[in-house]
Amino acid sequence: MTACTRTLSIYAREARAQLLATMRQPQFLLPTLILPVMFYALFGVAFARGRAEPAHWLLATYAVFAALGPGMFGFGAGVAAERESGQLELKRASPMPNGAYVAGKLAAGMALSALALLPIYAVALAVGVSMPAWRWAAVLALGSASAAPFGLIGLNLGLRLSAQGAVAAANLLFMAFGMLGGLWIPLSQLPPWMTRLAWMLPSFHLGQLSLGLAGVLPPTDVAAHLGILSGVCIIAVVGAWSAWRREEA
Amino acid sequence: MSGSVEPAAELAGVFKRRGAVLALAGISLALAPGKVTALLGPNGAGKSTAVGLLIGRLAPDRGLARLMGRDPRDPAARETLGVMLQQAGAPRGLAVAEIVDLFRGYYPGPRPRGEVVALAGLEGLERRRCQALSGGQQRRVQFALALCGRPDLLILDEPTTGMDADARRALWTAVRSEAARGAAVLLTTHHLDEAEALADRVVVIDRGRIIADAPPHAIKASVAAGAVRCRTGLADAELAALTGVTAVTREGGRAVLLTSAPQQTVRELLVRDQTLQDLSVSTATLEDALGRLVGVEGRDQPLEPAA
Repeated sequence: MTACTRTLSIYAREARAQLLATMRQPQFLLPTLILPVMFYALFGVAFARGRAEPAHWLLATYAVFAALGPGMFGFGAGVAAERESGQLELKRASPMPNGAYVAGKLAAGMALSALALLPIYAVALAVGVSMPAWRWAAVLALGSASAAPFGLIGLNLGLRLSAQGAVAAANLLFMAFGMLGGLWIPLSQLPPWMTRLAWMLPSFHLGQLSLGLAGVLPPTDVAAHLGILSGVCIIAVVGAWSAWRREEA
Repeated sequence: MSGSVEPAAELAGVFKRRGAVLALAGISLALAPGKVTALLGPNGAGKSTAVGLLIGRLAPDRGLARLMGRDPRDPAARETLGVMLQQAGAPRGLAVAEIVDLFRGYYPGPRPRGEVVALAGLEGLERRRCQALSGGQQRRVQFALALCGRPDLLILDEPTTGMDADARRALWTAVRSEAARGAAVLLTTHHLDEAEALADRVVVIDRGRIIADAPPHAIKASVAAGAVRCRTGLADAELAALTGVTAVTREGGRAVLLTSAPQQTVRELLVRDQTLQDLSVSTATLEDALGRLVGVEGRDQPLEPAA
């Protein structure tokens, strides 16, 4: 095996191990796989009395919401717990390439996000949401990709806070991103004072892009959304990198 | 440096500040293949900083840290390294075989899983989830992970904490066989009997400096030939004045006298104190020697054992 294929296989094994470990832990599985479809059934179907139109709208934002759990809890709480228990330290003393840990977690987060979206799709189809096949695929792709910005933000919590602090912060951001970013219920249904922060939240921009891909809203301000999301990602990467390097000084 | 064998790992003239404390104040240490080195010293002496430098987690302020001639901060250099850290919890959600395979995958020529499992005494536990194991079994998993890459340098930081006597002996056997295979082993431990049983060489550090570096028997001999324990009414100053006595300490209600001339010391002791009780004479242990080395007097005059 060449060095390159061996490195790739380390990345793949790391992702597989992350995915397995997460799937076996109920405390991660609940917010990751169960909560999104429960909320969707509640807000998108029950409150809307089963009408297809609100179910279609919220399908787009719940696709992004499904990535919030893996990002906040898998990275935020998960990394902090692994750091506190010494497991991260042990991996960093091994020849594992630095990137494999984060890349493995990102890949697992994306896979989990896609998995969390499947029951939501089933519910949406059952209540009569219809759109062209490419839109279903595009929304799934964006939803799963949303795990990256959320994961990078979560990584900053995980590398900087204690395990308990990270769980608290992850819960807080989970609710703030979900509610104030307009993922749970449309921002138009919220009192205006609650919507002022929306432009500052990555969840809002991902939600808007998703609404465009689902054909609910005309795709406007795409460049602005992408620009702000890129900025958030760059800040999160720099922040995570400096936290990662801090102790090597 | 003796011989021309290239060391498996080396610290050369290393200074390292941790916060306000100078954790290492000019340490040089070369670890030879096939030898077990015990790194001993009181808490805060600089042991964990030395380990941190060798595993690539810390960079020296001055001096060099090397693994087979390479910088330990380079992940590829760590392919020659196996580490068992003092504080490392079990990975949640993974079975023993899965975590062992994950770590085996980090190395270019890993040991077969069966061999790793057998060396660490984990037979029959391969399918169990790590978090369901006992504390001692979890330590054995950590030991297994250190062995996955057939390391040239094996670092064991307090390896037997939480293990029962059988598991401890099994780990000792495995450590000896790793050294026999040619691995350099660096062991930090609070169990001095462990250092005595395993180490070819004892390095004592205190306040960031090496204060003794010799085989265990030479360290013991340098301090005292024997230890005399007894209950006595005599004051420490009177005891210290007896022939041969190099150090006086107290263990509960008993005085402990380290002495270079045990017979002479006991003879005088019996004459001076008619009420003497609970007398015992033993060969000095490594613990006795260390207590002396890092004691207050030892700091002012670090001993150079005649090795």
